[in-house]
Amino acid sequence: MKQVVSVRGLKKRFSIRGGFHEAVCGIDLHVEEGEIFGFLGPNGAGKTTTLRMFTTLLPIDAGEAFIAGYNVQTESAAVRTQIGFVSQSGGSDRSATGRENLILQARLTGLGRLEAKSRSAELIETLALEDCIDRFVSTYSGGQKRRLDIALGLLHRPKVLFLDEPSAGLDPQNRSNLWQLIKELKRFGVAVFLTSHYLDEVDYLSDRLAIMDLGKIIAAGTPKELKKEIAGDVITMGIHPETVARTLALLKLRPFVREIAEAAKEVQLFVDNGEEALPQLLRLLDTEQITLKTITLTTPTLNDVFLKKTGKSLREGEFIS
Amino acid sequence: MKMLQEIGLFTMRKLRETRRNPIFLAMGIVVPILYLAFFSPLLKGMHVGDANVLNTFVPGMLVLIAFFNGLFAGFGIIDELRSGIIERFRVTPASRFAILMGPVLRDTIATVIQVTFFILIALPFGFSPDIRGILLLYPLLILLVTITSSFGNAIGLVVKSEDKLAPIVQGINMPILLLSGMLLPLSLGPAWLRTVAHFNPVYYIVEAARRLVQGEIANMAVAEAYAVTLLLAVIVVTWATRVVQKTTS
Repeated sequence: MKQVVSVRGLKKRFSIRGGFHEAVCGIDLHVEEGEIFGFLGPNGAGKTTTLRMFTTLLPIDAGEAFIAGYNVQTESAAVRTQIGFVSQSGGSDRSATGRENLILQARLTGLGRLEAKSRSAELIETLALEDCIDRFVSTYSGGQKRRLDIALGLLHRPKVLFLDEPSAGLDPQNRSNLWQLIKELKRFGVAVFLTSHYLDEVDYLSDRLAIMDLGKIIAAGTPKELKKEIAGDVITMGIHPETVARTLALLKLRPFVREIAEAAKEVQLFVDNGEEALPQLLRLLDTEQITLKTITLTTPTLNDVFLKKTGKSLREGEFIS
Repeated sequence: MKMLQEIGLFTMRKLRETRRNPIFLAMGIVVPILYLAFFSPLLKGMHVGDANVLNTFVPGMLVLIAFFNGLFAGFGIIDELRSGIIERFRVTPASRFAILMGPVLRDTIATVIQVTFFILIALPFGFSPDIRGILLLYPLLILLVTITSSFGNAIGLVVKSEDKLAPIVQGINMPILLLSGMLLPLSLGPAWLRTVAHFNPVYYIVEAARRLVQGEIANMAVAEAYAVTLLLAVIVVTWATRVVQKTTS
């Protein structure tokens, strides 16, 4: 696979009163052609700073960044022809209509008058903007505006589209629509690099992801891989206190059980693959005539990954923000 | 070539904005018209400058129009910075100079319209300018608004908030206005006032504007004004372009 983003030892620091703040302290990552790459971390982790360096908005202090084969520091003009960028605030001009926004942006990326028109028309259709495209952007709903912002980033068929917190401020309905849209972008072969502090968003959308905290990447891989690194799945069974001992004895020797823990009315099993273990377990308990009151399967979330690596919960951070 | 096209695109965007909200164009000449109506009659009683008071007074107002048109540009660009428009432009291959020139050229075009309009209003009041002089005054005013608008936009990008911008703009506005002789010729005042005024670029423009209106074209004051504004325009536009290049919200 060809890499459209490849970064080594990227650093950025800002001078603050009494010294420096190391916003990004030497990160390595790569994004492959056409994949959705999630960049997860709490607010203040350095995600946006990293993104700004990639998009030529902020000078790089140290390290190397290549986008679509061009060096971000020395060939920033070429990089700009290869990337689309949708900032948190969006970037569409509220005092103009959606179509005017699109045409201007298309012309700025170097398309001719006719090309700009036809390319805009294509995106208006793809992003379902027909109903509002000739109205002023100031009248748009949150979802419409977000779709226009994304369209503005796609006009010149970039190799990578950078989305900074794309679902910030959207209601659940619009959020799930946006997720579908981002998934569909794969059809166009554009790689999507998205920052988010929403676990479910990154988990659902990303082919691969990196988790960032305090300027460092603390974990990277596919969502599955990362979650697998954690203890695995947990099956919690509610059983009659009298049968606890028997159940423990029965399950201890089974190959699919990695670890077992007991409480008064509960038995917890740690297994590698909960979905496969569950039917086996049920069959076994049935033959041994152990009656279950409840059973739940818990798979680790990216929050567990974050918790394990940093000792703090990403969810808590979400509430603080 | 490509850059000229980009400048055109950015300027058209801002002009479209103005066309949809022409009230701002009208507002720009409300203040000078008020001065013309309620202040210039005072001068008639004071025997200032020439026999024709308006030939002394109107040039100052024309400079005022150009000066104000650019100085407050920062407020507009802060809003665009906040809504991410400036960053969106900066991530395109478009020239940074062109990004700056969009709002600046809009302001110059607005100035030319307002100045022309104001001259037409002043004529029936007795304003009798020299035509060649007026034609030579236009480029000077265009340079002035280019300076103030570039500065206004850049300073907006630097401070990034209206709350901080307002005192800065006011702090610059008042001394420049008072020390330019826009309302009353500084020749009425003591020598030290004129000495201080020589550090104010706008003073040169006001002086030149009065000469030009009188038809004194081959005048040292005119040459000085052109030299000062050209030099300052190059410096300010260069600086402002660098600011556009570097600013992030």
